[in-house]
Amino acid sequence: MSEPQTKHKSPYALEVRGLTRSFGSRKILSDVSFKLKRGEILIIMGGSGCGKSTLLRHIIGSLKPDAGEIYIDGTEITKLNDRELSNVRKRFGMLFQTGALFNSLTVGENVALPILESSDVSASIADLVVKLKLELVGLTGFEHLKPAQISGGMKKRVGMARALALDPELLFCDEPTAGLDPVMTAVIDTLTVDLTKKLGLSAVVVTHDMTSAFRIATQMIFLFEGRVIASGTPDEIKNNPDPILQQFINGYADGPIPLKLSKDDYLKRLMQA
Amino acid sequence: MLAFAQLSLEAFVGIFSPIFGQKSWRLSALFSQMVNIGVASLPTVALANFLLGLVLAIQGAGQFEKLGATNMVANLVAFSILREIGPLITAVIVIGRSGSAITAELGTMKVAEEIEALNVMGIDPVKYLVVPRLLAMLLMMPVLTVLGEGVGLFAGWLISVGSLHLDPFFYVQNSIEAVEQKDLFTGLLKALVFGGVVGTVACFYGMQVEGGAEGVGRSTTKSVVTALTSMLAMDAILTTLIYFT
Repeated sequence: MSEPQTKHKSPYALEVRGLTRSFGSRKILSDVSFKLKRGEILIIMGGSGCGKSTLLRHIIGSLKPDAGEIYIDGTEITKLNDRELSNVRKRFGMLFQTGALFNSLTVGENVALPILESSDVSASIADLVVKLKLELVGLTGFEHLKPAQISGGMKKRVGMARALALDPELLFCDEPTAGLDPVMTAVIDTLTVDLTKKLGLSAVVVTHDMTSAFRIATQMIFLFEGRVIASGTPDEIKNNPDPILQQFINGYADGPIPLKLSKDDYLKRLMQA
Repeated sequence: MLAFAQLSLEAFVGIFSPIFGQKSWRLSALFSQMVNIGVASLPTVALANFLLGLVLAIQGAGQFEKLGATNMVANLVAFSILREIGPLITAVIVIGRSGSAITAELGTMKVAEEIEALNVMGIDPVKYLVVPRLLAMLLMMPVLTVLGEGVGLFAGWLISVGSLHLDPFFYVQNSIEAVEQKDLFTGLLKALVFGGVVGTVACFYGMQVEGGAEGVGRSTTKSVVTALTSMLAMDAILTTLIYFT
């Protein structure tokens, strides 16, 4: 499917430099920088609303930053036009939060779509690739069902199969394990690790599932209010004394991470009443 | 407005590019949209045209009777259905039935990240989703209009012969004499333009959806209202251009 692997331009599969983006007066990302080596799995952690989905949308080229650069295998993507961007995009796969399968197509057609659209392969070859990819996610024999007929977890696995259809060099996963049972989570995690080990794929996974994150990560960054406040290997993150980070990875309710409604306000409100 | 112009331009380029040897149209997608927009709309379009044909004949008869010229009903029905009522009511039905459905469908796809997924796969959503819908609109609107007009004319004939006791052959002859070929063709030109307006507006609002189910509802309403008003505006413009110059 893909071109024979040519010499890589850069030792990094992905590099983000000084990424900044505001929506109105709200700064969602400020000066975010990190690098991802080939064959590694980078976990982007952070609470809800910390900007991790926005960051991912910038990396896949859906959003343009106010400042900063994004290099995918050495190619700067923030200034590319649509056609150049779509060429870069053919080299990566993306697993969306809800799978983003097309409801009018069957499971098999969903997986075949990127194959048939990107090249002139015959339907029978596409069919073979579909079978291989579905086997990879453990869904052989489900080709003829519509997305509405399968469970949420299965949709995610089909989404994974589709993301892998073109043998990408770089895989992006947006909350790949949210809403999955522990066994399915482990299956998806193992699959991600296997792919990076066997195929040399690099992966960027956005998640707040800490068990899953520490199981697969080789690199982690922690986003808080649009900034990278910690980065390193899983061990470095675990041993980082930052109270915000510790509260997050251990899942404590009390700590420095502000809640919308703090105790003081609540008391004041009670007194006023 | 700029975004709308850009989408329309891209879509029309997408429609015409196969003629210049680029990748061909997605025929299966096009056919399924033609069935959705055209074949499935036919009963409603026929019913609406039939009822309006009846009403025109009855209202016309009431007025012409005072002048003692009941046979003029044929002129009225033929003239107004071909020039105005046929294209107009067909477009109204298609807006309500298919335009709203296109906006809601594309909007739901946008909300479910499906459009973004297409982008990420390197597939142009305009070529993949908008072009077959717009092309189906452009092809089916004139077809539906012709068929609708036929039904409307028949309804007028039915009333005139059945309750006004006009001579069936004389009525047909009167109708044919009342209109020119130009009337039929301008009606079809209108239908083609309406198809373009409805298709681009419906797709544009679908691709614009933000913010979940509520956003889909809001955009669908906007789409129907905008399609209706722009269709009527185009009707006024075309009528002026064709008959006043």
